[in-house]
Amino acid sequence: MSTATVTHAKENGTSALVEVCSVRLEKTWFGVPISHILEIVGGARPQPVPLAPGYVGGLVHYRGDVLTTVSLRHLLNMPPKDGPQDIIVLESKGGCFGLLVDAVGEVLTLSAVDFEQNPSTLDARRRALLAGAYKLKDKLLVMLDPERLDPIRLSSAQPS
Amino acid sequence: MDELTREFLIESQEGLDRMERCLTELEERPQDAGLLGDIFRSVHTIKGTTGFLGFKRLEKLAHAGENLLGLLRDGKLHATQGIITGLLQLLDGLRSILKTIEAEGSEGDGEDSALIVHLEQLQDATTAVAQTAHTAVAASGQSAVSAPAEPPPAPVAPVASAAPAPVPAASVPSAAEPAPPDPTVQTEAEKPRPQAIASAAESSLRVDVTLLNRMMNLVGELVLTRNQVLQATANDPNMTMLSRRLDMVTADLRENVMKARMQPVSNIFSKMPRIVRDLSQVLGRKVRLQVEGQDTELDKSLLEAIKDPLTHAVRNSLDHGIEPPEVRVAAGKDAEGTLKLRASHEGSHVIIEVSDDGAGIAVEKVRAKAIERGVITQERAALLGERELLQLIFLPGFSTAAAVTNVSGRGVGMDVVRTNVEKIGGKVEVDSRTGKGTTLRLRIPLTLAIIPALIVRTLEQSFALPQGSLSELVHIPPEQANASIEWIEGVALYRLRGKLLPLVFLDRMLTPNGKHREADERDNFIAVLDADGRQFGLVVDGLADPEEIVVKPLSAVLKDIGLYSGATVLGNGDLALILDPGSIALKSGVTMSAREEEAAVTSGEEVTDELKGLEYLLVETAGRRAAVPLADVLRIEQLPLSRIEYIGYRPVINFNGQLLPVEDSGGVLQAAEGKPEAQVIVVVCRDASRHVGIAVSQVLDVASGADLFEAGTTQRTGGVTLLKEHVTGVVDLGNVPPLPADEHQTADWNRIAETLA
Repeated sequence: MSTATVTHAKENGTSALVEVCSVRLEKTWFGVPISHILEIVGGARPQPVPLAPGYVGGLVHYRGDVLTTVSLRHLLNMPPKDGPQDIIVLESKGGCFGLLVDAVGEVLTLSAVDFEQNPSTLDARRRALLAGAYKLKDKLLVMLDPERLDPIRLSSAQPS
Repeated sequence: MDELTREFLIESQEGLDRMERCLTELEERPQDAGLLGDIFRSVHTIKGTTGFLGFKRLEKLAHAGENLLGLLRDGKLHATQGIITGLLQLLDGLRSILKTIEAEGSEGDGEDSALIVHLEQLQDATTAVAQTAHTAVAASGQSAVSAPAEPPPAPVAPVASAAPAPVPAASVPSAAEPAPPDPTVQTEAEKPRPQAIASAAESSLRVDVTLLNRMMNLVGELVLTRNQVLQATANDPNMTMLSRRLDMVTADLRENVMKARMQPVSNIFSKMPRIVRDLSQVLGRKVRLQVEGQDTELDKSLLEAIKDPLTHAVRNSLDHGIEPPEVRVAAGKDAEGTLKLRASHEGSHVIIEVSDDGAGIAVEKVRAKAIERGVITQERAALLGERELLQLIFLPGFSTAAAVTNVSGRGVGMDVVRTNVEKIGGKVEVDSRTGKGTTLRLRIPLTLAIIPALIVRTLEQSFALPQGSLSELVHIPPEQANASIEWIEGVALYRLRGKLLPLVFLDRMLTPNGKHREADERDNFIAVLDADGRQFGLVVDGLADPEEIVVKPLSAVLKDIGLYSGATVLGNGDLALILDPGSIALKSGVTMSAREEEAAVTSGEEVTDELKGLEYLLVETAGRRAAVPLADVLRIEQLPLSRIEYIGYRPVINFNGQLLPVEDSGGVLQAAEGKPEAQVIVVVCRDASRHVGIAVSQVLDVASGADLFEAGTTQRTGGVTLLKEHVTGVVDLGNVPPLPADEHQTADWNRIAETLA
């Protein structure tokens, strides 16, 4: 098994392996590069912030700080979900923020050769959020770009 | 930049700061050898290290300065006004090079030869004179000073103050003979100081501010955890002792970490002599600067924050407060004005006062200006008292340069001073008497990171309201809502002691499109807030406990909403947003002028009544009614009788080591004796600089009093006032005897003035 992986990598030569954490929203799976993830917090109930832009999912207490969360559901025009949600704490240039998802899946090791850019037919709004996709055996894993999900970027991108 | 250079920069800055302090002192005591030695050392150290680090430009300049200072220190030269100015220029020169090094890592290619030449000239010009003087002095066996050659600016008075020696009259003949041995006297007098500094340096160490900030954050975390533990273990008897202990240790730790961040105000006060000196020369004023309470300590970040406002206030005092000497003399005042900087503690605040004995603020001109600028209406202006008028100088409208010169009061950026101070949770007060002077009082909280707040509930969420801006709470149950809340064109108002208070419904404000319950369908709690001088009532659904909250910053996106100043974690683990009263007022359109206008809508009679009489807290002590001036009331405490302890037979309450004497002439405490669970109410009042508690059986109301006159005369009676149609005695706080330093007479009990009705 391990030898097979090695030969596979050798065949591809330049290709590197990428570790990706999969997250679920309803029935769709998305991927987040693990290099940006600080921590995963399960079963959180964010405190809503009145008058905040719609994509702000609320505040959570995270290691002594107050963390602003971004609702992936809102960004993808899905109805809000009641009950606890999982949070992926992401690090970006502007500091930390949390990404609210329905559930966190597993960590996958993917090969960079399987990666493809966004299709040109994707609408502009989604194209701004998604980074491309990995071709898995049976499905596509759509990648999220943590930098583009940063609330500061979002606030300048869409005037709420 | 390497570690060595950074260290050098920090050290040099400290040295230069010390040099600046010494230089301004030197002006008063030009012969003080200790001071000269200090200055010399500062420059010498810089020169030595620069040579080592290879900063040629800095070395050259420092070298020129050192030569001049060497002559001064050895007494070959006398510190004249010109030399001190030259040395100050040297200081500025060194500072600017250091700044360049800090910014760019190199010295830059500025040119200092003019300054160096100037410093050399200063040496030469006086060496000749000094040498002749020196020989003359040497002949008489004295090593030092050249009193005859250089008519010193004002050595006599300062010398007299430093050493008891020469009588002023004797100074004239003494000019002929070599100066009396006071240089040596002073040297001895000054010697202990450097030593003290040295030993202080040994027992202290430099700590990075970011580390302290981190520690403060962690302590904040601990405070939160403690709050949670306390709530969680409240009902578990086994845990009570442990959580108590945790509580105490946390409080102690917090206090000490806060202490570590404290710096004496002298850090900013020490900048003032230079500013005063420079400005008074530019403006042609003669000013003596008095500084008090230099050791008062304040959180470093707060200290930074008040630096600008304070500088502003000092400039204002010099520019608009203290008159030119000839005007002062004509007014019968000392030609030299006095500017006083005073820092002191008061409860959980530090008070910084800037007072001058200048012209004061011409209230009438403020009034005229306010009307002219349309800040207030003529009718309204006529009703305003002096105090209210003085507040107007804080309005942004008064800050333009033209307004200031015309008003001849201070006004330049007074709004800026207030905004800056209020930003850190402080307050600014002004007091002025025409012809006598002006006092500006900055009230600064001790710390920023942890603030007392009231937790309120709205929309099923908790919000924190900073106690600093909260003045009172009013509860309106649903059945009274229709009668109590009045409306003008969709704007809700509440009649607070006769004045109309605009109301802001928090739920409506936070969810403009949501559904809201009407005021008569729920409990209404009005938090009366005072933000930037605007008063309004914030209506919330419910109140929770007051809590000490740790302020956590919000991300930029949420800060932009403008309503919240931060967030915090409550004892129950919930998050709460901290409301910013100023922004809420702004957002809901509550402005100063709006309030004034609304107030003017109420009948004129009522308004005048309000302004005439002082407001009183009406209390009942053992069946009698008495009044306490509301302005003096700090808070009302309800506590178990067991909290009352006795010194001799004087009741006191211990608040964290601060003893509050309790006045119990009404016998409230005696009546409750033997029932340790009984609750007593203590009105905590301010009397001058101390606090006094008054035990009462009930707090009845707040009302404004009216003057009473003795029949047939126009003489106002003292100690009583007309409250709610009853003649009521006013408690004289001054009569409560101070706690004895050592137990002596307590017989002189003072009564709460008796009700005559």
